[in-house]
Amino acid sequence: MIFTMKATFRLFIVCVCLFIATVTLVPPAVSMATDDGATDFLDDEFYDSEPMSVEVGDPLESFNRAMFRFNDFNYTWVFNPVATGYSHIVPVDIRGSVGNFFYNLQEPLRFINSILQGRLSDAGTVLVRFVVNTTGGVAGLGDPAGRELGFKAIDASLGETLGVWGIGDGFYLVVPFYGPTTLRDFSGDMVDGLALSPYYYWADGWEEIAAIYLGKELNKMSLYLGEYEDMKQMSFDPYIALRNGYFQYRKKIRDHNIPLYDE
Amino acid sequence: MMSNYVCDRSSAAGPVKGEPVRITIKYYLAIFAAALLLAPFIFHGTAQAVVPDPTEQLRPFLDKIVAELKSEEFKQDPSCLQCQRIIDIASEHFDFHEMSKRVLGKQWRTLSQQQKDQFVTLFTRLLQYAYIGKVDDYVDKKIEFDKQRIKGNRAEVQTHLVDTNKTIPVSYIMILKGDKWMAYDIIVEGVSLVRNYMEQFRSILRDEKFSGLIDRLENKILELENEKNQQEATVGEGTPTSDAG
Repeated sequence: MIFTMKATFRLFIVCVCLFIATVTLVPPAVSMATDDGATDFLDDEFYDSEPMSVEVGDPLESFNRAMFRFNDFNYTWVFNPVATGYSHIVPVDIRGSVGNFFYNLQEPLRFINSILQGRLSDAGTVLVRFVVNTTGGVAGLGDPAGRELGFKAIDASLGETLGVWGIGDGFYLVVPFYGPTTLRDFSGDMVDGLALSPYYYWADGWEEIAAIYLGKELNKMSLYLGEYEDMKQMSFDPYIALRNGYFQYRKKIRDHNIPLYDE
Repeated sequence: MMSNYVCDRSSAAGPVKGEPVRITIKYYLAIFAAALLLAPFIFHGTAQAVVPDPTEQLRPFLDKIVAELKSEEFKQDPSCLQCQRIIDIASEHFDFHEMSKRVLGKQWRTLSQQQKDQFVTLFTRLLQYAYIGKVDDYVDKKIEFDKQRIKGNRAEVQTHLVDTNKTIPVSYIMILKGDKWMAYDIIVEGVSLVRNYMEQFRSILRDEKFSGLIDRLENKILELENEKNQQEATVGEGTPTSDAG
């Protein structure tokens, strides 16, 4: 028990330090204006505007490309075969439940971040989801709040909170075993994910933390098999395709008031 | 506002004696100006009513493509002779020209007509492999239609590709040409296909110019064709041996 606490505490300190370093070192958001602007696909300006990766910047491109190749190699030769094997053994609904379980344990974090971002009604939705799914969804294995009550999953992370508070992205970053992110979002995710996610408190040291993380990620991969390969196959430069896809997707999940109800 | 202004001026000119004819002309002018100003609003109302429903056009169109992809004729077609037919059907509601224009962005205007045509042809073939090659993706999935929105001559139709365990949001971005809605971009999970290719093509155009981009496109299409043929070859070899066994 003492060891557990020590290891987790040390990890927490590391994350907080990284977090403070980012907050103090990264200059205020240069791209705030564009970051906040909603994407309107029906506007031709959207097709003329600069892509996010140009605004955020990729000064470490050669390092990032090396990390991309490293992740690509690992995915292709280790994780993908393992996830494929796992997907043959474990039925898809169980894998879905495992994913829900991990997702549900992070809902309190999303609740806090929603409040820190001033999104009070989203915070309410997250709270309802957590209560309903933990009880009615049997410890978060099911998602009755989303499926039956219409409380759809909402994204809120510390990276986004920092953005709302005016901290810039820093630069684009590809992290080994983790994937595309930015300096700000990665430090936010470290605090969110490692230091504050309850499942890492079960771990007895680094090895178990790594095992839980890999298990969680493998389970996730098993639900999206083949998508990365398709992306790679269809692209001319998978590195740029993934970078662009990351920024576009991030913009979508952080656009909390997409205008949909014109008709 | 304009018409009020004109009316005010003419009524102000009213009391001046000896100029009744000019006043009448001014009134006519005022009415004419008012009519001109109001015309767009009146016609806008009627034009809105005439605009066809994008979802109603997209639904049968997607059904038709999926049915074609699922057909036995298409499945047992090793050399992809049917592919042209799929492209022909797809062209009914996919505007590959509009798509190519946006993918190249500002560069498009600098190209000659011949270069434009060459690019459109190659880009269409690339997309053929991107989407027609992924038949399996559609066979066991259901397309559900969600909301739509219309803004001027553009429309977005949101659909969901529903699988047993996940739902992928797919949006079609369309432009009204005549009475037909033509798609020129597909947004999967918030990621615009056009924007994604645009950023990739940008660096190729910068480093290797237009001819380099054409080479890259041709190579990619060849690569995808070979992959498809190899897949069919292994499937073809696999069947007789299992029969023999």
